[in-house]
Amino acid sequence: MLGQWCVFGAAQKLKLEVQLVWATNDRESPEPSHKPVEPAVLKKLKDLPLKWTNYFEVNRHEFEVPASGVVNVPVSSKCSIEVKRLADTTMEVSFIGKGKPVEKRIMALPRGELLVYGGNAPNATAWLVVLKRLE
Amino acid sequence: MIAYETQLKIQALLDDELSPSDARRLAETLAQDPEARALLAELKGTKAALKSFEEPFTLPETREFFWSKIERSIQAQPERVVAGAPLWVAWRRFLVPVSSLAALVLLALLTLLGPGGKGPEFEAALSDPGAFTYRDYSTGATLVWLSYPAENEFAQEEPTDTIE
Repeated sequence: MLGQWCVFGAAQKLKLEVQLVWATNDRESPEPSHKPVEPAVLKKLKDLPLKWTNYFEVNRHEFEVPASGVVNVPVSSKCSIEVKRLADTTMEVSFIGKGKPVEKRIMALPRGELLVYGGNAPNATAWLVVLKRLE
Repeated sequence: MIAYETQLKIQALLDDELSPSDARRLAETLAQDPEARALLAELKGTKAALKSFEEPFTLPETREFFWSKIERSIQAQPERVVAGAPLWVAWRRFLVPVSSLAALVLLALLTLLGPGGKGPEFEAALSDPGAFTYRDYSTGATLVWLSYPAENEFAQEEPTDTIE
């Protein structure tokens, strides 16, 4: 997975984490490798207007964005997150699905805040891509 | 069929007229109802189309020249003589602007120091017409709900009995 990341630039870096989360009302995930999301993320997800009661972490990746650099992180086989650093605290975040940009926004992501992309999945469940800043 | 009240709330959302609690409830509806999301996308498109047809109004002269004319006309007016006017009329000249300024300062303080600070709010997402954004400053979380993808994001990671 690491080999697929495209990193350009150097110098000062911004450390982020992206998690793929499955939202469901089932008490347990049918996939044993899924584990409940960490409490801090769970609290913020519960505060959002989402109807699901349980959130399972499917995978997570930590990555760094160099100054003036762009990082593309595959989250699943179909989607990825691309982060372009514009200034010290400002970045352009793109959600890319099936190789095409679906949504793009310029924002600052202070530590402790989350950017959550989501969408409906079959059987009244949902997928979430949670982006947070580590450093 | 979308309920009439929901249709009105979607329109109010686009016009920034929803209260934070209504916005929160509507976000839940939009997350669950593809018809409501389609209506939101359609109204957004209509609003954008109408806006693009608005003809810009240009002044026949430059902005600086326009304002300098106003300034000159104000200066050309003779100063009013208030001699002989009652005392309260003279005081009114000062009290009106001072009280207006005080009201503005009070309003600004109430806005900044009021309970809860900034509440949840929506923001239009541009790339995906079916998408909407919910941002809650109090929890520091931004949710972007996408119409993508139609199929399961976990297609290759879940047992087949959970996939359509």
